[in-house]
Amino acid sequence: MKLTKWAAGVLALMTLTVASAQAQNITAPPAAVPNGITVEEVKVHSAAVAGNLEGNSAERSAMVVLPPSYASNPNKRYPVIYYLHGFSIDGRNFYNFMKVPEAVAANAAQGREFIVVVPDTLTKMGGSMYSNSVTTGDFQTFIAKDLVAYIDGKYRTIASRDGRGLVGHSMGGYGTWRIAMRYPEVYAAIWAQSACCVSPRTETVESATAMANVPYADVDKAGFGMRAGLASAVAWAPNPNNPPYYVDFPLKDGKVDQFVIAQWAANSPLALVASHVDALKSFKAIGSDVGDKDGLIRDDTMMHEELQKFGVAHEWAVYEGTHTDKIGQRFSEIVLPFMAGHLAK
Amino acid sequence: MFKKLLACAAALATLAAIPAEARTEKIKVHGASLEGNLEGNSADRDVYVFLPPSYDSNASKRYPVVYFLHGYFATADAYENLVKFQEAVDEAAAAGNELIVVLPDAHTKFKGAMYSNSVTTGDFEGFVTRDLVSHIDSNYRTLARAESRGLSGHSMGGYGTLKIVMKYPGIYSSMYAMAPCCLSPSAITLEQARGAASMTPEQIEAADFGAAAAAASLAAWAPDPNNPPNFIAVDEKDGKLSPVITARLHANSPLVLLSQSVPQLKAMTAIGIDVGDKDFLLADDTAMHNELNRFGVTHDWEVFEGDHGNRVAARVRSDLLPFFGKHLAK
Repeated sequence: MKLTKWAAGVLALMTLTVASAQAQNITAPPAAVPNGITVEEVKVHSAAVAGNLEGNSAERSAMVVLPPSYASNPNKRYPVIYYLHGFSIDGRNFYNFMKVPEAVAANAAQGREFIVVVPDTLTKMGGSMYSNSVTTGDFQTFIAKDLVAYIDGKYRTIASRDGRGLVGHSMGGYGTWRIAMRYPEVYAAIWAQSACCVSPRTETVESATAMANVPYADVDKAGFGMRAGLASAVAWAPNPNNPPYYVDFPLKDGKVDQFVIAQWAANSPLALVASHVDALKSFKAIGSDVGDKDGLIRDDTMMHEELQKFGVAHEWAVYEGTHTDKIGQRFSEIVLPFMAGHLAK
Repeated sequence: MFKKLLACAAALATLAAIPAEARTEKIKVHGASLEGNLEGNSADRDVYVFLPPSYDSNASKRYPVVYFLHGYFATADAYENLVKFQEAVDEAAAAGNELIVVLPDAHTKFKGAMYSNSVTTGDFEGFVTRDLVSHIDSNYRTLARAESRGLSGHSMGGYGTLKIVMKYPGIYSSMYAMAPCCLSPSAITLEQARGAASMTPEQIEAADFGAAAAAASLAAWAPDPNNPPNFIAVDEKDGKLSPVITARLHANSPLVLLSQSVPQLKAMTAIGIDVGDKDFLLADDTAMHNELNRFGVTHDWEVFEGDHGNRVAARVRSDLLPFFGKHLAK
């Protein structure tokens, strides 16, 4: 099963942090907020998420980190970086883990000022996959439309494509790829860190059976890999008539259901590049990176090669590191300076 | 002299009393989206514009527009000939349903673009949704807004209609797919892909419908800019077509895409789908109808007596144009 590698990578992150006993989600100690940095947690109503069958809240939290001059310079408008978290973690804990306020302060000290927004998309299954599912909710549209409209309405942003960047890690890197291809008009530059779920996901009869047999009440105890499988299933093969999961598991008449596998495959960035070349070429800049000890290196390298094959210019780096040990540092030292080079000021 | 003048005036009066007829313009529309495609398909496309009878006499009136996408193994010319849109627009207007119909050509090297976005075939999605709409809105008195814009098509054009509506929300408010093809995920073998990738122009010319359609699907959905002469992917894994290539085919199947586009489909004012009871696509199209029902997407659905092609002209008149007359804003 493809996801085991991803699971192994992220398990490393879990051992570094304190897993809550309840839902096994990853937590991190509160981020320090340097002098001059303002952090606000806002609640954003998402019409796109409302009415989902899983009961995920349509009132989504987002951490908003404002740069030092925001308060003192009331006429200035700022570029915005939207930063999408990974699986089995919420927005606030990702913000904590990535030390976002320190990254904003360090970049501001070098003359690169941004607003960074970290939205929360944690769902019952542990992550929205930033997809468009009646079961999970249309989180793709939440990120690209509802959230952007809210932030542009409330803060002094550069409220146009030129002033917006999209970044994500792991499941958030996956979200970055798919949202960028679907809504290229919203962002000018994108960066996917250690993106997961790039290849089409497959199952055997055994793995599909195991997935279908998880009691709904026990999802929280199912383990990272199984939860990630369930989250993918409800995001990509929803079925409004099949409670309690409201999903079509990839199993039919004792065989792997190839239609469900096709539905999953249609959500894989590797499958989407060929039909979105113009969207990808429309970005001012694209970046992607992965650690040399990350199980996702093979998948992310394939994505890099696919972009090259179709002539989509992009930055690409393989660095010394795992799925998680350098991502905060690289967000501050590589990704934000990259965005500064391509977004309007 | 006076008598002559009178006779002349009488003749003029008679002419004026005859209702004006719909006027057809056959134009070329440049598709920036199509430039540089690897098949060398022209970026300057034939487009028929069928204007309603009052278009010239009522110079301040603006009209709703119905875009109609033709089927595979055919051209805009062939569909103009098959449907006689001019007459259909005229008849609709006589019944109080005044609209402009636009029929673009999407014939390619493999006899049909699949209205998809491919470096090999060209970005026909961009051509239909951007280049064509903007050209028509700039050059004709259209009601240039989604509420007054409909998308429709037959067979491959029905496929294009469904896929474009899911992928490009906000451009059209109503859609009608006649006997849409290509709804289920395709299963194409490595041998088929290799065959398509190496077809010579003579073989393409001689190919039957099925072989040509498989090649056209691959060109549209599984392009490979590094694999001349046909720029079709033949990536192999474990002796089979690579799962990534198969995944690309699946990512272009409307049945597969539907569950990721439910809010966009529900936002449509109206959706219509029909198919003949003797059409080889009956099962596939019924699956689409059931899938829309499963996700609560309201739509008109009709199985009529007929086969894949024998009722197109009649149903454009009896169903398709009245459908848009009912749902597009005037």
